Amino acid sequence: MTEKDLQIPEKKEVQSNAESTRNAPVFIPAVDILETEHDLTLLADMPGVPLDRVDIDLEGDQLTIRGSVLQENGAGRVLLKEYAVGDYYRQFTLSSDIDREKIQATIKDGVLRLVLPKAEAAKPRRIEVKSS
Amino acid sequence: MAIIRYPNWPWADVSTALEDFERARRQMDRLVSAFTGQGAAPAVSGVFPALVVKENGDKIIVEAELPGINPQDLDINVHGNTLTLSGERKPDKVDGASYHRRERKWGSFRKAITLPDEVNPDAVQAECKNGVLTIILPKAEQTKPKKIAIKSE
Repeated sequence: MTEKDLQIPEKKEVQSNAESTRNAPVFIPAVDILETEHDLTLLADMPGVPLDRVDIDLEGDQLTIRGSVLQENGAGRVLLKEYAVGDYYRQFTLSSDIDREKIQATIKDGVLRLVLPKAEAAKPRRIEVKSS
Repeated sequence: MAIIRYPNWPWADVSTALEDFERARRQMDRLVSAFTGQGAAPAVSGVFPALVVKENGDKIIVEAELPGINPQDLDINVHGNTLTLSGERKPDKVDGASYHRRERKWGSFRKAITLPDEVNPDAVQAECKNGVLTIILPKAEQTKPKKIAIKSE
């Protein structure tokens, strides 16, 4: 793996008609979505959000992730501000059937890891190619 | 033939008018960002990580959002009034997985920032919580403001 330099991620604000009640911008977190045979894993960068302020909602095939940032507004004069702090919100439509009972969410170093196990019926089956 | 100057005619001042307009626009921008205190924060240095630097009495507070970075992979150095941050974000590996989306970036970084004052390097504290790094740098003794007593006779 070659070494490369990290770039400042661009924080995209959510464009929504619904107004938020909190006076903080709402950003779209950067995510990775991985699929294995057994589950779907979603990783989302949500710095500043503790686990108890993450809200995961699965309604039908709509997965909604919400994260409220815990702002410890330490008093002080701001000298430099290269980024804005805000909440996170993102919605996905899932294609495969998920076993909702077994969904697991953990957060470590500001990264949410959501493991969505596939329902038995949705697991891929090997398709035999018959030669005649 | 007499040459008459018309200093007050509007077109004599077009360039100054433009400058005035530009200045007004910049002041307006500053006013708006001062009121909202947020909005699209421009990446001033363009070097990862983006920082917020605050001053609180005799302390300088530097904050950075570093999601997915193990605090052990972080290196913080203070030399004089220069703070250097370096580290690496490692990719999350899952064997046998295929990606649907891959937006999160990984790689290494090194950033230097000049602090507004000299700090006491022995008293610097750093904490990483929920992927947000906070560095508290107490100012050096000689830069702290001193109250000067006025003698009266």
